[in-house]
Amino acid sequence: MTEQEIYSGLRGKFGEKVLEFMEEGTLNPTAVIKADSVAEICLFLKNNESLQFDSLMNLAAHDPDGESELSVIYHLYSTNLNHYFTLKTHVSRENGVVESVANIYRTADWHEREAYDLFGIKFNDHPDLKRILLEEDWEGHPLKKDYVTAEFYRGMRIEKVK
Amino acid sequence: MGRLHAEEMILNMGPQHPSTHGVLRLKLTTDGEIVSKIEPVIGYLHRSFEKHAENLEYQMVTPFTGRCDYLAAMGSEHGYAMAVEKMLGIELPERVEYLRVIFAELQRIASHLVAVGTFGLDVGAITPFIYCFRERELILDLFEMASGGRLLYNYIWIGGLAHDIPPGFVEKAYEFLDAFDKRVDEYNQILTGNKIFVERAADIGVMTPEVAINYGVTGPSLRASGVNIDIRRTQPYSIYDRFDFDVPLGEGLQGTVGDSWDRYYVRVLEMRESAKIVRQALEQLPVEGDVQAAVPRRIKPPVGEIYFRSENPRGELGYYIVSDGKNIPARVKMRSPAFSNLSVINEIGQGWMISDVIAILGSLDIVLGEIDR
Amino acid sequence: MIQSLANWILSFDILSGLGSSLVWGLSLFIVAALIFVFVAVNAIVLVYVERKVSAFMQVRLGPMRVGKFGVLQTVADALKLLQKEDIIPEKADKVLFTIGPWTILVASVATFAAIPFSDTLLAANMNIGLFYVISISSIVVLGIVMAGWASNNKWSLYGAMRSAAQIISYEIPVGITLVAVVAVVGSLNLQTIIQSQGGVGNLFHWIPIPLPNWYIFHSPFLFLAAFVYMIGATAEINRTPFDIPESESELVAGFMTEFSGLRWALFFLSEYANATLVAFLVSIVFLGGWQSPFASYSGAQAALLVISLVAIMWTVFVKVKIGRLSMYPLGISILTTMAAWLFPGFAIWLASPGLFWIVLKAASIIFLLMWFRWTFPRLRVDQLMYVSWKVILPISLINLMGVAVWMWLSGEIQF
Repeated sequence: MTEQEIYSGLRGKFGEKVLEFMEEGTLNPTAVIKADSVAEICLFLKNNESLQFDSLMNLAAHDPDGESELSVIYHLYSTNLNHYFTLKTHVSRENGVVESVANIYRTADWHEREAYDLFGIKFNDHPDLKRILLEEDWEGHPLKKDYVTAEFYRGMRIEKVK
Repeated sequence: MGRLHAEEMILNMGPQHPSTHGVLRLKLTTDGEIVSKIEPVIGYLHRSFEKHAENLEYQMVTPFTGRCDYLAAMGSEHGYAMAVEKMLGIELPERVEYLRVIFAELQRIASHLVAVGTFGLDVGAITPFIYCFRERELILDLFEMASGGRLLYNYIWIGGLAHDIPPGFVEKAYEFLDAFDKRVDEYNQILTGNKIFVERAADIGVMTPEVAINYGVTGPSLRASGVNIDIRRTQPYSIYDRFDFDVPLGEGLQGTVGDSWDRYYVRVLEMRESAKIVRQALEQLPVEGDVQAAVPRRIKPPVGEIYFRSENPRGELGYYIVSDGKNIPARVKMRSPAFSNLSVINEIGQGWMISDVIAILGSLDIVLGEIDR
Repeated sequence: MIQSLANWILSFDILSGLGSSLVWGLSLFIVAALIFVFVAVNAIVLVYVERKVSAFMQVRLGPMRVGKFGVLQTVADALKLLQKEDIIPEKADKVLFTIGPWTILVASVATFAAIPFSDTLLAANMNIGLFYVISISSIVVLGIVMAGWASNNKWSLYGAMRSAAQIISYEIPVGITLVAVVAVVGSLNLQTIIQSQGGVGNLFHWIPIPLPNWYIFHSPFLFLAAFVYMIGATAEINRTPFDIPESESELVAGFMTEFSGLRWALFFLSEYANATLVAFLVSIVFLGGWQSPFASYSGAQAALLVISLVAIMWTVFVKVKIGRLSMYPLGISILTTMAAWLFPGFAIWLASPGLFWIVLKAASIIFLLMWFRWTFPRLRVDQLMYVSWKVILPISLINLMGVAVWMWLSGEIQF
């Protein structure tokens, strides 16, 4: 099934929750969806007989410029039918909340923790949302474009990168 | 009189432990020898690869990718280079494609040799490890001839290679391939069929296909569960569609499909297949061709994004790259195979003994460099 | 030996003035010191041999820098260990932590008092020699538990618990196996056990192959018992594939995790002392001790035996080509072990053939133990228990009964 067809199906099923279809400027055609409907759409994509997206290959977060909304990107793959689909959702910079898919795809568990760790995106219903790569008491979320390195960490000076 | 009860004990395995393959910490909840919960704590080797990548030009990111999966640096570089090339729309000379496949597959053999050897080490067999490293040295010699490096290469550049291969390389590669098949027989003799080894690995840590797919386990660990997914086959990249090779699957020869023994044995079989690919690639390798012909002067991909995945020795290595039209990537996300492969450890390792957890961890073949990035 | 040493001292005119009890005590001390020196030097030699043997099995060279072929490497290592800082962890139980290693060492050294090195060379000729050796060597487990518990470290605790379970369960089949031999001899005296293995007889009493009267050839049951004993003893001395108490890939170093310097060296010393003890026991109980394998043969018989031995060795010497090197890994490693013993061995043979033969036999067993170690993976703790209680113990019980029946059938005992 082509991405365009999958998008049309989603649009028909979920209506307003599916915002737009992006083919320009991406090599993986993407459906942009609302942040609070990620879980139900993923569940549908996973359980639908003709789609069978049983594998979440990748979950990435992205901060475009340090001002506009953050985005979370889901790269889905069907191991049975060998086709691909990409979902994208936007969340506000501060206190952005996305529905967690960790209970649908266990892959997402750690990937969402990583997105939380590096971007500060919160995932609703995540079983154990805490930092994964950095220390629990690290200040800020480094991959945000407006991240400012703290002066000290536990009394140790953090060297500035020129 | 209170009732007698046994307490559970938290056992910190790592970050300094001989068998955690680097600086991984496993928080084990143990009841005697039985492990009831495994909580991996990672991040000890976090070197901010993704943050670095956002501050460096595209071609300067290449060496950093090799430092992520340091046991398969060629594979990481290959994946990154292909992703950027796809964004730029570069067509590569034939010779470059062939050489890249040769290096990527040799790297797969080298990486699997470490995996097989250290798995033996994890279950207590010391000698096979040294045997595996003996052959790995020969591969590293080849890499050194070509790139000058033995662990980290910076050899596969965006649009080509750093240099052409030196004279005598092809002959030496053939020499290695001729000897290698018999060496695999040696590993089988000393380890694969060993009764104690089978007792330790078979039926231990069985991973069903559903669990494997749900956790995003990829690569040999997934194929050991009987799932026939190899990106070189399902979504052929580079020139992999030109080669004749099999995708070994776990068959449960000594126990259940998807046990630690299967994960070990799939790797042994894959080494043979990789050797087959290298041989074919060497035979078809075009004699003429400038490996730097397609290397772009300025790397400025058009605005857009890509998720490109390739089959690394450990599984699906994906690069999610966002370009905003500058010569510096806006975002590079590395979807490292070992990151997802490790997350399954609690699911398949629960209820086994401490020794088995070590074996299961060894059979997943993780590299902390790419887990923590 | 103590008595003859005392007599020898008293035979000097100048010394005869000393009281006989003082001389007795002096001789006692000298013999004890000799045993300790033997154990220490033996460990240093064996560490070197083990490193070389493992190196050749793994297609490497091993130590090569300190002294010719690295022969002084272990001496240097021992010196380094002696001068290391003495560290006791803060939270450790200091008393137990200190006496743990010494307990192990004392237990493993004390067993050598009863080991006959030749027909005359033994410290104490006890009528309960075998019983003494088994009982003293089982004190080792006490020391291990002490060391593991006192370290106040979870890995050490695991190691100690595993070790206690393992040693205690393997002592039973090992003991019963030895009882089968004792049943044949009718004595616990190690010297008597060896003396009763002299001469040449048929293999398994009826099969007409002339072999020394060693107990391994006495009956199929004792033949099996020798292997059962080897397996059980390997487990008892914590060597691969039964090295789970210190399994370095799981428990870091097991009960030794917190030890360093001299105390750690003591563990090492006793580990090799135990391995040597097992090797000596196997050669005493099953392989005729200091009895020469050739002594009672006619010239023709001996020649035949030598030829067949050479033939066997020939098949072992399989050539392996690695890169530009052609090697005989197995052959070389056997030869190294042999050579390490043989050069001093020749001198020993001239002085005392009995000593030469028992050392040769023990060296072969030690080589076998090393071979195990560098070939096999490690068993899991429950598999280890399974092997002990469900496999080896029944076999050893059947052996014991089988030996009795065999002796009745072959007419060694009558009712």
